[in-house]
Amino acid sequence: MSLIQPSSRSKQKSSQKSSARRTENNRIYAHPLPIIFAEPSEPSFLRKTLHFLGVSASDILNPHCQGVLDVATRSVWVLDMKDAMILWQRGFFGKGDLSRSEPSWLARQINARKLAKQGEIRVMTSEEVTAKRRAERKQFKLDRAKAMAAATAEAEAAFQQGRIVSTVYAADGTRMIPSAATWKPKDGTQPDQDPPRVEEDEEDEEEPMVNVEHLQLTLQEAFFLLWNFDCLSISNPDGDTLTLLQIWNAFQNVHIPCPTLAPMIDPPQHRRFDNPFLVNYAIYHHYRSFGWIVKSGIKFCVDYLLYKRGPIFSHAEFAIVVCPVYEDPADQDGSPFELNNASPFSWSWLSTINRVNSQVQKTLILSYVTIPARSRVSQDILSSPACFAHYTVREVVLRRFIPARMRD
Amino acid sequence: MESHSFHPRLAELISKYPKSAGALFQTFNDVTLAQKWTDIQVLELSKCGRGAIKGLRPSLTAGEPPSTCVVVPCGLAESLSTSWIRGAFAALDDQLADAPETLFVAICSDDSSIVYYKITKGIMKPQV
Repeated sequence: MSLIQPSSRSKQKSSQKSSARRTENNRIYAHPLPIIFAEPSEPSFLRKTLHFLGVSASDILNPHCQGVLDVATRSVWVLDMKDAMILWQRGFFGKGDLSRSEPSWLARQINARKLAKQGEIRVMTSEEVTAKRRAERKQFKLDRAKAMAAATAEAEAAFQQGRIVSTVYAADGTRMIPSAATWKPKDGTQPDQDPPRVEEDEEDEEEPMVNVEHLQLTLQEAFFLLWNFDCLSISNPDGDTLTLLQIWNAFQNVHIPCPTLAPMIDPPQHRRFDNPFLVNYAIYHHYRSFGWIVKSGIKFCVDYLLYKRGPIFSHAEFAIVVCPVYEDPADQDGSPFELNNASPFSWSWLSTINRVNSQVQKTLILSYVTIPARSRVSQDILSSPACFAHYTVREVVLRRFIPARMRD
Repeated sequence: MESHSFHPRLAELISKYPKSAGALFQTFNDVTLAQKWTDIQVLELSKCGRGAIKGLRPSLTAGEPPSTCVVVPCGLAESLSTSWIRGAFAALDDQLADAPETLFVAICSDDSSIVYYKITKGIMKPQV
């Protein structure tokens, strides 16, 4: 499985991946998009000529993934795990609904079982690596607190007696209070031991686990895959495949409150330029078309995060806050949608978001999307994705300026 | 969502409060399958117009017993206010004999990310 990384007890920081793992990641995540251009091994003369003239005539391999529209969660679910891994590995589309990013729920359940049986697991998912690191850090903090208390008590006792003792170095020369660099986790098991042999008949008693996880795509990701590459087909919960026009209508209708939770495939009664799906898709498409990987930014108080190559390779460099701007302010007054950040927000809120993101070394970008005026552009243009030509996106990069510090 | 095995347990609340159906379903899914809570009950908070989930949350440190927690799901696009939160506490007081002093608000996003916030009644000193 792609997500498996060998557990290593070396003191390398997580950012310094071993070259073997890097090569493995480069191999697995080689394709930036779900469709692949394949060159046949023995190109014909015609192909060679076209290639010489600058025309590429390679075959396009399309994985043709399936998804189901779910109106309540405003997302498209990919239930087949093979399709899910293709969409994740080629472009980092979607998120496992029970996992942090890549669908790894089944792997974690299997690992939990192995841990209970054999006492250790050889290969860990990213969630397990994080949990282990947090547990070690917690143990380190407890050890440090204990050592500090002991050192203080010893110093107090010595003071009573009139002696002076060092609280930094113990009698044998080691540091009394552990620091993060020198602390080692105390556990009995050695990683190089072979796991105890498991009896063959024990394994037969356990029932196979059913994977209840799916890959969840946002409406923007789903439309991007469907409209630009035709590599995703979406059906409604009853199983009928939806046409492009039905999907176009259904995605906009998702944001219109309705008592039933079934996809509404008829055109919306009043087409509006400020439908949240359209506004967010304009932004999503804008950054994806430049090659950025765009993911949700809810964990950092922003709308989107931009990754250069993918979450596997490096942390996100940029955090995007979407600020919709109405070309005609009258449109905003009569709008049934309350778009986030459409009205100016306070300096304190902006400072808070900027601080949160500076602490995690991300640059904050305000992306202004201009929503066309209904008075200027006819609403008929909303009957097809051609309307996106009327939306513009402008970026403003925000960085905190500290005059005292930034001169050096 | 309809074909998911959890759907019958939540069906009544989903049809009664369709606006918060997605958040309720996602939170229930996460809490049951990923966070591994046990003894799960679904409550109805009519004052807040949504359902809530109560269960035993396993403790992070080995050896400690699980603690009873209540989580109230909501969507990212909703706006919360302190009166909303107070209403949630009041609704829980009505329903439960031993209403907890803290509740969790689960904010659900379209891509299935959930962020949990711990809310306490009144000022509480953070744990060391």
